[in-house]
Parts: sequence; C-alpha cells; structure tokens
Amino acid sequence: MKRLIVTGLGIAAAISLTVTGCGSSGGTAGSDTKSAGPVTVSLAAWSLATTPEFKTLADAFHQANPNITVKLKEYDAANYDTQMVADLAAHSAPDMYVQKTLKNFFTYQDGGQLMDVSDVAKKLGKGINGVKSYSVDGATFAIPYRQDSWYLYYNKDLFDAAKVAYPDGTWTWDDYAKNAGLLKAGLKAAGSPAQATYQHGWQSVVQGFANAQSPKADILKGDFGYMKPYYARAVAMQTAGDQPTYGTVTTNSLTYQAQFGKQKAAMMPMGSWYVATLIAQEATKDADTFKWGFAPIPQFDSSTTKTPVTFADPTGIGINPAIDKSKVAAAKAFLAFIGSEGASTKLTGIGITPAYASDAVTKSYFGFKGVPGDDLSRSAFATHDTKPENPVSKDTAAIQNILNDMHSSIMSGSKSVDAGVAEAEARVKSEVLNK
Amino acid sequence: MATTTLVARRPGGRLKWRNTLLGWSFILPNFIGFAVLTLVPVIALFYIAFTNWNAFGTARLVGLDNFTRLLADHSFRIALWNTVYYTAFHIPLTLGLSLALALLLNRKMRGVAFFRTAAFFPYVTSIVAIAVVWNMLFSPQFGPINQFLTSIGISHPPGWTTSSTWAMPAVIIVGTWREMGYYMLLFLAGLQTIPSELYEAARVDGASPWQRFLNVTVPCLRPTTFFVTVMLTIGSFKVFDLILVMTNGGPGQSTLVLSQYIYTKGFVENKLGYASAVSIVLFLICISITVVQFIVNKRRAD
Repeated sequence: MKRLIVTGLGIAAAISLTVTGCGSSGGTAGSDTKSAGPVTVSLAAWSLATTPEFKTLADAFHQANPNITVKLKEYDAANYDTQMVADLAAHSAPDMYVQKTLKNFFTYQDGGQLMDVSDVAKKLGKGINGVKSYSVDGATFAIPYRQDSWYLYYNKDLFDAAKVAYPDGTWTWDDYAKNAGLLKAGLKAAGSPAQATYQHGWQSVVQGFANAQSPKADILKGDFGYMKPYYARAVAMQTAGDQPTYGTVTTNSLTYQAQFGKQKAAMMPMGSWYVATLIAQEATKDADTFKWGFAPIPQFDSSTTKTPVTFADPTGIGINPAIDKSKVAAAKAFLAFIGSEGASTKLTGIGITPAYASDAVTKSYFGFKGVPGDDLSRSAFATHDTKPENPVSKDTAAIQNILNDMHSSIMSGSKSVDAGVAEAEARVKSEVLNK
Repeated sequence: MATTTLVARRPGGRLKWRNTLLGWSFILPNFIGFAVLTLVPVIALFYIAFTNWNAFGTARLVGLDNFTRLLADHSFRIALWNTVYYTAFHIPLTLGLSLALALLLNRKMRGVAFFRTAAFFPYVTSIVAIAVVWNMLFSPQFGPINQFLTSIGISHPPGWTTSSTWAMPAVIIVGTWREMGYYMLLFLAGLQTIPSELYEAARVDGASPWQRFLNVTVPCLRPTTFFVTVMLTIGSFKVFDLILVMTNGGPGQSTLVLSQYIYTKGFVENKLGYASAVSIVLFLICISITVVQFIVNKRRAD
C-alpha cells in the first residue's frame, strides 16, 4: 500500500514537472519536452504504403525531438471513420488521430472525443490556414497540416493540338464552358479522340464550387437555389458531349487519374492532391508523359479573379482525451510541429499542399521534381481564397447525404435541375431542420 | 418398490444428461460465436432503439421518439417501398428460375456437372466484381445490353442503373442471376429425394409430363420450396451488399433499401438510436412474414 502511494506520488510529480516544464519554456516544437524521458505517442492514419505524409511528419518530428517517437497505427482508408468511432467508443483508440474528413469532425468534437488544443493553435505562425474549420465556440480542437484546394488541370499538348489558348487565370465558369466547346471542335478537327473536359462523379465537383463561390451560399439553411446555375451548366456540358456523362462515369467506374493521366480529357477540375499522384504515375507509366499545368479554378463572376475563390477541407490532427496524462505535452508538441513552416517544407517534399503558406513553402513546393513551374501554376498555388467544403455543424453529415442523392438524380437525368433541388430542399426541411 | 424404480430410472436419466451435455458441447463453439456476435447485439438493439445514442457518451432514453419520427420520415417510407418492390419481384423470379434450372439439370445428360457448376458460379463470385461487370454491361451508351437492344430495333433503350425508373429492375435482374444457382442446388437436392416409383406409377396411369410435374414433383418438393421461400424472403428484405456496390441507393433514392438506410443513419450519420429503431421495424417485418409462412405451410401439411 505504502509503495503504491509512493509510486503514485512519483508519477504525479513527473506529470507536474512535465506540465510546468512545458508551460515555462514557451512551447516551440523542440524544446519543451526535453525534461521528460523517451515518450511514444500513437497516431491513427490510413494506407501507410501509399500515403507517405504520416511517416514524413512522424520522422521529421522525431528528428527534431529525439525523445519523442510517433508510432503510426494503420486503419482501413475506406472505413477509417467507422473504425475510429468504434475504437474511440471502446477506449482503444490511439493518442492522436487524423481528421480524415471535416464532415465527421463535429461527431468527434460534439461527442467529447477531441482535446481542446487552443493553446497550441494560439502559438502557430501567421501562415497557417484552416484552423478556423476546427474551432467551436472559440476553442480549437485539431491542428491542420495540409490544406488542399481545387484547381483546373489542363493538358497543354491537347490545347495546342486543338489550337485553343491556355487558361489565363481570369476564367469564369461560362468561359470554361465556352472553351470546352472550342476544345471539342478543335480536338475533333485534329483527329484526337480526347474529350474537352472530365467532371468526376463526386458531388463536390459541382456543389463544392457552388457553395464556395455563390454569394450567400450556406448549405445549413436548406435553400439550394444557388446551385441551379452550376447544375444547369454541368448537365448542358454532358449533353453537348464536352465531357463523359455521369452515367458513363458511374457505370464504367471511370477514374479521374486515368481520364486526365492517359490524356482522355484536355481539362479537369480536381483537388491539389492530384499533382503528386500525377507526377508519381508519370514515373510508373500509369500516366502518359505530357505537358500539363494547373490554373485557378473558374470563378462565379469576374470580380474574384484576382484572388480566386476555391474550396477544399483542411486535414488536421487532434488528440484523444483518453490519452495518458504523461503524454499530453508530447502530443501537443507534435501538433505544434505539424502546423509549422518546418513541417510544411517537409510535406512539400512529397508533393503535398501544406496548411502553412509562405514564400519558403511555395519555393520548396515548386522545387519538387515534376511540378509544372509556369507562372499560372505558381499563382494558382500561392494565391487563392480556399473555403471549407463542410461547415462544422450537427446537421452537416445528414445534409451532405441528401445533397449527394440530389447530385445523382440530377446528373443522371432522372430529375430536372429544378425538381432535384426542390426535392432536396423539402427533404432537408423535413428530415434535418424540423425534426 | 420405490427404490427399485429410482435405481432403474437413474441410468437412463444419467444417459439423457450425458447426451444433452454432449450435444451442447458440440454446438457450443458455434453458439458462443452466435451469442457474442449476434444474440447480445440483437438484445442490445431493443434497448438502443429507445435511446438517442450517437456512439459516444451515454445513451439517453427518449421513449418512443425514434418511432414517432419514423412514421413521418419520407425517406424511410421510400426505403420501405423499395424493399417491398425488390422483394415482390425477386422472390417469384428466383423461385421460378431456380426450380426450372433444377428440373433442367436433374436429367441424365452429357456435361450436366459443368452446367450445374456454371449455374452455381455467380453465387460464389465476389459481389464487387459482379457489380462492376454488370454495371458495364448496363452502361447506357456503351454497354452491350443496350447495343443489343438498339440493334433489334428498340430506339430508346432504358438507362438501367442511371435511370430512376430502371435502376431497380436492373438490380433485381442481377440479384436473381446471382442467387438462382444456390437455390437451384437446394431444389436439386429436393428432387433427388422424390422416389422414382411415384413417377412410374403416374406414367402407368397415363399422366402427361405436366401432370406429373404438378401432382408428383410439386407436392414432394413442398418442404424444399418452403425452406427456399423463407430463406428468399429474409434474404430479399435484408438485401444490402448488392445495392451498395451497384447503385449505392441511387440515382437519387430510387434504389434505397431498408438495410442501406440503417447503415447510412447508423454508421455514416452516427444516429445509432434511430438506426436501431429502423432495424426493429425490419426485424418485425421479417419475423411476421416468416410466421405467416410457417402457419400456411403447416396447414397445407395437415
């Protein structure tokens, strides 16, 4: 019994030492945990073999803090959130876990499964983006390390063949549709089987832009009239044959990597993660080798072309509140690290768009072999206003599911744009807002 | 007198006990798995359905709230209707086709083993592969099915999985194609048990093949048919994997079925209490239909 008390006191002392040590040294990533012995904190991640970012972060952090080891625990990418919810509920989840989609952030935060890390967030540098997406009532619950955004990828070889001018960074969606028409005619004249553009089957490809760019758009209000012009344009383009129809995309399980990488489409709106994938696939011959670039995504109107408005959710890491008290300081040090410029230049080394933006990061990103170095690609990377795709709310997941049904019924032609939108609005009212 | 009976009874009683224990020990490994993975969750379901559990924290009892919400839930009604639609076509189609296949392959002919295997093959093929291949076959613009339909003069072939009217028939076709091999096997086993004397006697009486089928095959197959119908009913009501990988409930909600609705509510939106309430409704539907089938079967047997 006596021994138990002594050990208990010892542990308590160790904890208080660590905690006070952390408080006094002012919290830069490297210095604050030196007083403690070797610590291992675990981090949940997915598909480690094909997603090198977690190992990159863990290794770089360990190099700067030899006392702390970040151990990765692999989950299934497709069922990550389901498994994480189960593990958290069973108290067997790792010390830290990645917020794979912002859509589910609310579930974790509201369920009390994320530790308040506002102290870490306050000390992050000025260049950090995406922290706001993880804030609830003034407190922050996760720290972002990557912030993707959507670009317009284009195949310069196919543009040249069709004798159409490259995107110039001032396009609106109507310009995009007009140029798709020109490309279709030009490619046909040049004898190329490629299509003008490719719109993947995801709801984001239409709705993400409508939500980010339309004035007063807010999915939580349940009023989706602002999506109509975006859908009308998308449906018209597939009817005209500028892009494969939604039915072809879903029934033939088309992949966006093959459509653009194998030069079957001259343009494609897609997220910034595709840059690294395309470069990797060029090396493995899964993609053709051709001249390409990425332009700012087309805009709602010409008023925003200076700082183009686009969207994408940040990816962040949060701390499991069930973490052992002695490891909290180490976990917070890791979070401070992933939101720093130092970690960001490591991430750009594997082609990832980090959450921290600065000239050094941009320079390092375009130093990555294979990234197109033209001015338009540079400005698309460096200058944009990226809005989150998912607002943080208890209703987000349910509303997005209804909007996904709307997407498939409009794009497949089962419902007209007006009827599809009206049905979704009615469903949101009866199933989500008024229940 | 009393002692003698006791002594006389004991060995028999002990034997009974031993046999019971022996029996228990044989089913125990399976039963433990069933109890831990199925029975306990099912019992828990009846509690969770009356709470607002969201996977974390404590589940608060909300009484009948989940069920009153169900009554007004338009999506639930669509899912229920789609499930009934699927079941109403899938059961008779599969039953008829698997019986026909069994009769066809119950004769002595060359290569019968090959054809039996071929018919059974879809059942053991990966459902994801089935969905991908059938989706390509159904592709509205480039799929072989529509190319065939156009070539025989149908100018507007259906959009299949991309059309809200035709998605369900497409799923029913694939579901039937996939499962008829399995039920064919059950019918084949049933056909083997029919004594050939009955057919001989019928032939002597001058019965035509159709009369022999109606008056010998069908009545003798009744236990098999009953089993197949029950299994098909339950299987159709809880159809899930095929729909999830083939259409994911779409386009819109045109192929949304109850199991998928439960999955979405429970594991995508984390409304486990509400999802449990829907599960109970599905459970009640399945059990009441099965009970009716048992009653009907018993009456016929008498």
